[in-house]
Amino acid sequence: MKQRITYLVPQGHGIDPASIQTSNDTLTFADAKDAAVEKRVTAGLSELPAELVTVLQDVHELHIRWSSRLNYAAPSPFTSRLPPGLHVFFTPRKANADVNICPLLKQLFSPDLKCDSVAHSFSSPPILSERFSHSSSYQYFHPLARLLHFQTFLARTLCGKFKGLCVNEAAALSYASYVDIDFDAISHAVTLTAFWREGIEAGAARTVARKWRGGDSLEVGILQSEVADEVEEVKMGGYLTVVGEEDGEPGPTLFSFPSRHHALSPQNSTSNTNSTPPTSPTFSAHFQHPPGLHPNLAITFPHPQHLAPPKDSCALHAYLTLPSALFIDRYQLADPLFLASHNLVALHSLSGEQDLEAPDWVIKRWGSAALLELATPPPSTITTTNASSGPADEWTVTIPTHLRYLQAPSANTNTTTTPTPNTPHTNTNTTSAGRVSLEIPHPSLFWACEAQEGLKMSVNPFDRVNLGYDGLFGPKTMFYHIPPTALDADGGRNVLVERLEVPVLEPGAGAKWGVQVGTLVAVGVGFGWVLWVLFGGKAGAGRRGKGAGVGVAQKTKKEGGEVVQEKKADRVKGQ
Amino acid sequence: MPSLSAFFSRPRLVFATAIFFRLALLIYGRWQDANSAVKYTDVDYLVFTDAARFLSRGRSLYDRATYRYTPLLAWLLYPTTWGGWYFEFGKTLFAAGDIVTGWLVYIILRKHKGMGTERAMRFAGIWLLNPMVANISTRGSSEGLVAAVVVALLWAVLERRIEVAGCLLGLGVHFKIYPFIYAASVFWWLGGNAVRAKGENVVRPRWYEVVTTFVSPARVRLVLSSGITFMLLNGVIYGLPFLEHTYLYHFTRIDHRHNFSVYNTVLHLNSAYYQEAAGLKIESLAFIPQLFLSLFAIPALLAKKDLASAMLAQTFAFVTFNKVCTSQYFLWYMVFLPFYLPDSSLLRRPRLGITALVLWVLGQAAWLQQGYQLEFLGMSTFVPGLWIASIGFFLVNCWILGVIVADVGDKEDVVIPVVALESKKGR
Repeated sequence: MKQRITYLVPQGHGIDPASIQTSNDTLTFADAKDAAVEKRVTAGLSELPAELVTVLQDVHELHIRWSSRLNYAAPSPFTSRLPPGLHVFFTPRKANADVNICPLLKQLFSPDLKCDSVAHSFSSPPILSERFSHSSSYQYFHPLARLLHFQTFLARTLCGKFKGLCVNEAAALSYASYVDIDFDAISHAVTLTAFWREGIEAGAARTVARKWRGGDSLEVGILQSEVADEVEEVKMGGYLTVVGEEDGEPGPTLFSFPSRHHALSPQNSTSNTNSTPPTSPTFSAHFQHPPGLHPNLAITFPHPQHLAPPKDSCALHAYLTLPSALFIDRYQLADPLFLASHNLVALHSLSGEQDLEAPDWVIKRWGSAALLELATPPPSTITTTNASSGPADEWTVTIPTHLRYLQAPSANTNTTTTPTPNTPHTNTNTTSAGRVSLEIPHPSLFWACEAQEGLKMSVNPFDRVNLGYDGLFGPKTMFYHIPPTALDADGGRNVLVERLEVPVLEPGAGAKWGVQVGTLVAVGVGFGWVLWVLFGGKAGAGRRGKGAGVGVAQKTKKEGGEVVQEKKADRVKGQ
Repeated sequence: MPSLSAFFSRPRLVFATAIFFRLALLIYGRWQDANSAVKYTDVDYLVFTDAARFLSRGRSLYDRATYRYTPLLAWLLYPTTWGGWYFEFGKTLFAAGDIVTGWLVYIILRKHKGMGTERAMRFAGIWLLNPMVANISTRGSSEGLVAAVVVALLWAVLERRIEVAGCLLGLGVHFKIYPFIYAASVFWWLGGNAVRAKGENVVRPRWYEVVTTFVSPARVRLVLSSGITFMLLNGVIYGLPFLEHTYLYHFTRIDHRHNFSVYNTVLHLNSAYYQEAAGLKIESLAFIPQLFLSLFAIPALLAKKDLASAMLAQTFAFVTFNKVCTSQYFLWYMVFLPFYLPDSSLLRRPRLGITALVLWVLGQAAWLQQGYQLEFLGMSTFVPGLWIASIGFFLVNCWILGVIVADVGDKEDVVIPVVALESKKGR
């Protein structure tokens, strides 16, 4: 088992070598609570429980990405972001083989996952090229709020072997901002990576850097971001040490590497006044009111004057993973005028469940993933000298979505008066009669820019791939991420999901209003009325008596005559 | 009004107006599409033209989501793939179908109902100058084509061109399934005399006469020609995706997005909460009143009195009792109004007619208001709002159907004097 722990000291702090204490199997860093931490644990298949190993036999690659729905600052080099929730990317060893990893996922993360089989529940993202390794065959997403189930699984199955502090490690994941699990058949190893943001108050978030057992290796880096020489590179300086080696003193280091993901550097507005501090662009997302059955997701940039592309040949994109209750109509987004009215440029990719008519209760797929290019404000807004930022200066992009018909959750949860930590199967809660509450994760926003040729991104020790959207671009792409605003409208910490109230037909309504019986009665009344008119009252004119019949004959002679003529004509023709 | 009178007594003027009206709408529609985010063109038209484009590239039509029509339609719209103004070809075709329909209505009214030019033109104007009809066709909805086929069917039957009628019937059913109900009324109508006058008496045919003359040469020709046409059309375009999307879909469709149908709420409930469905299978039971009326009762009792009005009543019953009902379906029966209205009590008693029209419009308006609240304001109006509105509209339609049926039933039976039948010479 290998561990690699990286403490990322924030800008403005120095790294005092005296604060680093090493021993044979531990390392203590006194300023750890101010630092962001990335922990990476790599275990060989032999070190894992047998049940996992059997499933992984048929898997070529498996990438699980969980992202917290609480906003966090993402310092370089940990700048990549994903919509909050659980993302699974998976390629079976044999193409088209029916490998079912749904039971494994349910065991690891939640029994409420909407997952029956890979063929039905996963989606197939478009693959740009066969040789490009950054996209898996299948994709899955679930808006998972917390990792409690996973933590329990870890503690139960793995900590049996390691005991004691292992449980603390599992518990510390409650505070992680993202957790990655990677497996590929070539390395035969499973890697778990977790990231904690800087400045977490709770002591339980931090664990000591310690070897779990003899024979493990533990590598610790205490690093700080430096100004890079090249615009596309990231430079880190600090101290690196391998715990337990002879030369145990932390050695100073300075290295740079090309990185796929970058943060946007704060930009000065080109204003004469110096009163505005340089700010980075941020975005906030909400559904426009009233949403109805066709909600528009509005992405608002509060300071559009800072929204300039970081390089030439960049395009602003939004990546969404929508649960199956919402969908995007690709045909609607094919019209340039319509796109322009929403400040969109194009829908570049849409995969997953795209049925335009089906209700949610027949959909087995998790939902759909969309990559949209957004329009940027015209240059005049960017170079404005107006320092005030009222709502008039905001730039808003809207994404039109549509709701499927939903079930009220009481129909399909068969248990629980006690609320579970994970939301129920359809991820809905009843809030008031006739409505259901959905939680939709915010999109990830980034500038996608063309990278220089000849860069080897995989040299990056903190490289993060298989994020879903990076597979939709070519290999020479760099991503500059736009973070969500730190605070939401109420001033609290920004939670990266939107609640949507959706009208729904409740099952009780049928009984309450007598819909079944009422409809039958109405149909019976209507049908009976028509039958009565047909057979009874007035349609019996033809059965009047003889006298009237004669009159009838004479009156309708013309019409009858016509008919006769035609009939005779037929006889002549040899009918 | 003298000027109206002068207008309608010149058919060429009326037809020119109808054509000009549609041309104007087509050009306006193209302008609106190019300059506004809200399109004039119907979503269905985009489905048709996409499918035609797939065809031109050798791909399957049914790759286009929601394409559930016959491949004939995509072939008909092939010119739309040539780009530019050719994109409007389909809409032009549908609008032309409108005009043809109007013309057929006019000549049927003149020849078979014995109307004068002006009166026939007035009633044909119900279709030709109707803004709703023109709007639907120029937006690119194909209902106008089916109406043309159906009226042509009526014309062919009245002209006693049985094979042509059979082919049109087969074509109509291939296009949209519902014209199969006309098979019943046409078949029954071809059976000949409703009553016979024996000297001064009127004699109804005895039951055994009905049975022995059931299989008449005319009827055989009808069945054969329609059956062969239908099989040919399906055979030429054989394939499971076609069958699945065009026919089978209509039996298993589960998209119960709200529509006018009286069954909509129940079907939505049963689909979402199958545990709650009270043993009754509404999906299957719903066919009973619909088919009993449109396929049996109405043809049997009314077809021989007035074929065109019977077809109106059949279609009206079919649409009213259908499990799905959208405003496009109203065109299916609207095309028969010019044949029914001249003798109807809706015109003879204007108050009745106005009441019927007002109630019919109000019924839709109430439903649309609830639908608007649901779709755009997000209020849960499924029950009771939409449900009660759909029941109201349904009952209004049943009442109107009752009026129609009573009117047609009141008509005198078509009489063929026995003397004339037995003589082989012309009158």
